[in-house]
Amino acid sequence: MNESHQGEFRITSENDIVMARKVVRDAATTLGFGITDVTRIVTAASELTRNIYHYAKSGVMHWRSLNQDASVGLELTFEDSGPGIPDVEKAMEMGFSTGKGLGLGLPGSKRLMDEMTIESTVGKGTTVVVRKWLKQ
Amino acid sequence: MVSESISVIKLRGLLLVTVPPDPDDETVSALQEQVLQAMAQHDCKGLVLDISTVQTLDSFFARTVAETVQMVALMGGRTVLAGMRASVAVTATQLGLTVGNSLTALNVDRALDLLNSTLSKDLRL
Repeated sequence: MNESHQGEFRITSENDIVMARKVVRDAATTLGFGITDVTRIVTAASELTRNIYHYAKSGVMHWRSLNQDASVGLELTFEDSGPGIPDVEKAMEMGFSTGKGLGLGLPGSKRLMDEMTIESTVGKGTTVVVRKWLKQ
Repeated sequence: MVSESISVIKLRGLLLVTVPPDPDDETVSALQEQVLQAMAQHDCKGLVLDISTVQTLDSFFARTVAETVQMVALMGGRTVLAGMRASVAVTATQLGLTVGNSLTALNVDRALDLLNSTLSKDLRL
């Protein structure tokens, strides 16, 4: 698979959490991920999409396939113009939440994926990028 | 909008609830309400939550299930969570999810056995 696959999905309602899961499930399955990795990726996407809906109300999820040194992967980017995260380090702690969540979304998603980066500016918004590589 | 229907069946004094494969948040919340209403209405002592078709168990879904187990317990009932897929169990554990003090079983058949023996033990105490 050398051609690049990509797409984007707008998150504006609660039902879009389900739709985002479907989009990510299709993308991950097409790339050849096994059932357990597909479940990991879809679950992380569900957490990160819900974060956007709850904290920023709306945002965009971009997805694209990765081809690097003969490795195939999937990258998901979650972008919003919401309130931002004042203390990213704190937000990455298990059980920490400023909302009504369990505080598992960010740290849990990091454990489910291979890579995760968060960029956030208070008052401007948040961008979360996660990647999963296909095990050869 | 509740996108997927929830099946609630009363079976020999027990409640069998089948959770749809990919429910939205509203469906998950509606499920909790329907389960509690049916428990009271049918005077059930036990609940089997069949999650064998569930593909994604995220933190919201897991919290609602754990809450439901707790609420059913407060109403004097026991819950068995039945049929969690291996991929879902792996993912839920890595995410850090717990489902409260629910009993678990590999499938609905075993869940019914477990519930029957647990309830008869409860009676003898």
